[in-house]
Amino acid sequence: MSFLNNYIYYIGAFGLILIGLYIVLVKHNLIKVIVGLGVLDTGVNLFLISVGYITKGTAPIFSRSGIDPELMVDPVPQALVLTAIVIGVAVLALALSLAIRLYQHYGTLNLRKIREQRW
Amino acid sequence: MVNPVLLIAVPLGLVFAIPLFALFWKDAAKYIPPAALGFNLVVSLLLLPKVLENPVIVSIGGWQPPFCINLVAGPVGVLFSAIIALVGLLVSIYALNYIKEGATEKYHMLYLLLLTGATGVVLTGDIFNLFVFFEILCISSYALVAYLREKSGIESAVKYLIQGAVGSSLLLIGIGLLYGQFGTLNMADIAEKITSVSPVSLFVPMVLLITGLGVEAAIFPLNAWLPDAHSSAPSSISAILSGIAIEVGLYAVARIIFTIFGASSIFLFLAFLGILTLLIGEMCAFSQNNIKRMLAYSSIGQIGLILFALAIATSYGVTGGLFQLVSHTLSKALLFLAAGYMIYQTGSMEISALEGMGKKMPLTCLAFTVGAFSLVGLPPFIGFPSKFLIVRAALATKETFLFAALGLALLGTVIEGAYFFRVVQVLYFKADMPNPGKKEAPVTALIPMFIFVVLIVVVGIYPKLVTDVLNSAAIELLNRLDYIRSVLG
Repeated sequence: MSFLNNYIYYIGAFGLILIGLYIVLVKHNLIKVIVGLGVLDTGVNLFLISVGYITKGTAPIFSRSGIDPELMVDPVPQALVLTAIVIGVAVLALALSLAIRLYQHYGTLNLRKIREQRW
Repeated sequence: MVNPVLLIAVPLGLVFAIPLFALFWKDAAKYIPPAALGFNLVVSLLLLPKVLENPVIVSIGGWQPPFCINLVAGPVGVLFSAIIALVGLLVSIYALNYIKEGATEKYHMLYLLLLTGATGVVLTGDIFNLFVFFEILCISSYALVAYLREKSGIESAVKYLIQGAVGSSLLLIGIGLLYGQFGTLNMADIAEKITSVSPVSLFVPMVLLITGLGVEAAIFPLNAWLPDAHSSAPSSISAILSGIAIEVGLYAVARIIFTIFGASSIFLFLAFLGILTLLIGEMCAFSQNNIKRMLAYSSIGQIGLILFALAIATSYGVTGGLFQLVSHTLSKALLFLAAGYMIYQTGSMEISALEGMGKKMPLTCLAFTVGAFSLVGLPPFIGFPSKFLIVRAALATKETFLFAALGLALLGTVIEGAYFFRVVQVLYFKADMPNPGKKEAPVTALIPMFIFVVLIVVVGIYPKLVTDVLNSAAIELLNRLDYIRSVLG
């Protein structure tokens, strides 16, 4: 049980990452693939946060007296995640707008049916 | 002294000023990228002699490394930023007349943003910052591949985006693992602490980083997006993607392997991957009928050759790899630019449609021929000294595996020669069209092509012009202790 307690965030994060990868690799519908990319992104962000997390930690701000600096969580991963979220939003927005165009051209979002370009 | 921050700050500021300028003067959008890249070229060339003596380290925000984000303008960084600025400047001049349809303002913004991202990747000394600039580069290239809004462009942009997004997620996981182990994001700091943990726990982050960057660098099993994306983008963008984007990915791979991990144990594996990439790229290129797809596959082959040369990991090998990288950048950009107007004239990308173009567009075809001969490695073009250096480096190692690999690399060159000579033959010797009438590309396209041809021939005849810089760049990559010392003091 203590293993679960200690590593629950990592388990969750890698669970999300693997689910996201599975969706991207297996699904045929472009929208589902894009959802998969979103899940993958979320998993990576959760992983980054849990790298810097301390159990029962507080925000690293001296907002009131008596906060133990030892209990403050690492702020760097949170800054990284903010950036990563913004990048993820940009990629998803671009992917969705490409999906609209793709649908206009082919009349389908099934990636198995769209194969004009081959090796 | 010139501050290397300007290399990133000025283009980035100008990118987002383009819509403002365009409010007052409609044409401002297309003249800002050449201006910004010209500025970058001048700054890089001014910095170059200084950084050859001592790398310039810029700490942003006034904190000392490893606590700040820092820029490391060493020989490698400034060499790359000079090449990016040079090729970017010439291609942006070409684009003045070439890009006429669609949202031209957005094209010029994304174009400059792509090159700013590339400059950031090669200059930064912070691994997360490298990821951010890498994403800037990737996202703008996804959008640019889809710029023409044709069927093929959208399809390949979707493919490129999915593969690239998965790749950058893997890269981010790798960065997170490194941060978890070392508590720092500074590349020099990680490199210094890397010996303090067991090599087993470094294996996973290294694989993730190389895989993530390998997607953009188009190393063999990860390059399915490249031929589609490079062939369906507008030709000026193909030139940048083939000439700059994948090279920057390869730079990042080299930086991770050489500087951060110092991982000599995987060099042979990388040499193997390089040869595999080379052979597959060249063989696929040989069987293409579409000229842009042929050039795209040939880029894969060249990337393989560069990776092979870098993985030799002697000073000759890395110098040869960087030299080959420079020569590929110049030659492939020239080939795509020349092919762009040939396709524009004929309206078809089929090689057979180019019959008799040698009489119709003599200057453009001459430029194409120079680029093709240079890539194959004929003297007196730049491809000859670079390939020669790689052969010499591989022979100097006295390792059986590298000898065998070198044989395969030379076989790849033969295949390369076969398909490039076929195109040249179609251009000049196939048609007996009655008086075709000349219809040359416009001056804005001929000037950049002419400058590329001059550079290719001059450096090919007198390689000493660049070998000093390339040598110190190779030393910077191979000598990680010096890098750590110069950043951390």
